[in-house]
Amino acid sequence: MARILSLADAVGEVVHDGDTVALEGFTHLIPFAAGHEIIRQGRRDLTLVRMTPDLIYDQLIGAGCARKLVFSWGGNPGVGSLHRFRDAVQNGWPVPLEIEEHSHAGMANRYVAGASGLPFAVLRGYTGTDLPAHNPNIKQITCPFTGETLTAVPALNPDTTIVHAQQADPAGNVQVWGITGVHKEAVLAAKRSLVTVEEIVDELRPRPGAMVLPGWAVTVVAEAPRGAHPSYAQGYYDRDNDYYQAWDAIGRDRDAFRDWLTETVFNNTATAGGGTR
Amino acid sequence: MDATRAEICVVACANLFRGDGEVLASPMGLIPTLGARLARLTSEPDLLLSDGEAYLLAEVPAPGEQTSTVEGWLPYRKVFDVVAHGRRHVVMGANQLDRYGNQNISCIGPHDRPTRQLLGFRGAPGNTVNHKTSYWVPRHSTRVFVDAVHVVSGVGYDNAAKHPSAGRFHAVHRVVTNLAVLDFDTPDRTMRLVSTHPGVTVDEVRESTGFPVDAGEVGETRRPTAEELRLLRTVLDPKSLRDREVPS
Repeated sequence: MARILSLADAVGEVVHDGDTVALEGFTHLIPFAAGHEIIRQGRRDLTLVRMTPDLIYDQLIGAGCARKLVFSWGGNPGVGSLHRFRDAVQNGWPVPLEIEEHSHAGMANRYVAGASGLPFAVLRGYTGTDLPAHNPNIKQITCPFTGETLTAVPALNPDTTIVHAQQADPAGNVQVWGITGVHKEAVLAAKRSLVTVEEIVDELRPRPGAMVLPGWAVTVVAEAPRGAHPSYAQGYYDRDNDYYQAWDAIGRDRDAFRDWLTETVFNNTATAGGGTR
Repeated sequence: MDATRAEICVVACANLFRGDGEVLASPMGLIPTLGARLARLTSEPDLLLSDGEAYLLAEVPAPGEQTSTVEGWLPYRKVFDVVAHGRRHVVMGANQLDRYGNQNISCIGPHDRPTRQLLGFRGAPGNTVNHKTSYWVPRHSTRVFVDAVHVVSGVGYDNAAKHPSAGRFHAVHRVVTNLAVLDFDTPDRTMRLVSTHPGVTVDEVRESTGFPVDAGEVGETRRPTAEELRLLRTVLDPKSLRDREVPS
């Protein structure tokens, strides 16, 4: 059974300086509120893991929470670059950021291996690219059956995985529906997990295509209404496309970003969604 | 009826899918997306189209428009199964491309401390070794078409030949740009100029390409038919977003 805590207590319990932390959710259900809480608690030296780092990682990186990023794409979807991410990689601001780059399928398969208790995943991709030369976590392996040379990548087992979902019940069973990305794999692969939810309901009503993360697979649950804003939560609210557009100008400028941090994250502990937009 | 340069490019992208049959078309960007949808409405009715998020489309709306009928559920995580199975044709962008079709979308400069950090490898390593791949380059220039890419993200023909596992399903088909159509049907699998768009000269393409390109038999890129123009202008892109991506 997962324990139900406040967002601040939950993040305080599962995220420590130096941890490897994965915040997952593809387009949909991105755990922004939890990310902002990590910034407020001043965590440092995190290894951040995410298949598709977008604004929430730009914000965590700009706030100086991370020393390393493990990823396969980093951008502002439909808008352009992540300027805080680029400033950290190119100029070491506010702290240098080491990167470990993978392909999408490589990242997904690393989570699957981690969730399955296996030491590595095997792929055809990566062969012929320059990535094995830049990333020691990509190695050649010979198939014992066919003799074909393929690629192995190590299992990904984050210290903590954080995802957002629509609902949990009082026992901490979580129900997610819509596009789920690698929610399941990332939670099962982690040593500890936090699921933030739109609401805690008395009973989960079965829905077509929904996925249940049972309470015994989750460490802590925290209620965070609008906790995925500016991304969306199907059945609750739509994507705030204007926020993504507006982020380009904020992220581009160090001072504008610092002002944003103060106003939106540090002076805004009351609203989990972290936005007045 | 005169076609704009953008419309020529869309039709060239539609032609990329000729003969593909029942495969998942994964076009990145507006012009390739319009191309895939135009192909589905004309020469390739069996092409599987995605809304770019999670649905396979039963109808063929303008990009971004919702339809009432959905053909299938194919969220992000499941796309990898299709990639590995190989029934897919992706049209990717490229920050850099070399004569063998090696693509870079990761960074400019050294990988550990780049001068420009780009968006990242994404699906390129898996796409290029598992199924058919084409490229769309909206601004054909020596910045994109370079002698050697800084980091190989998508695998070209020379690297595919060096690694049997990478070459097994490797198929870089064509490159469509705002100036021309190129392919790799040469003895050494280096880039060849297939056709220039109406109004573009071979010299213009040569000057905009950072390596020598085979220009032995160059045709003119096909102009859209009246029906293709009608579909494009009234059904797929009534707001003419295409002309903003590729000015005439």
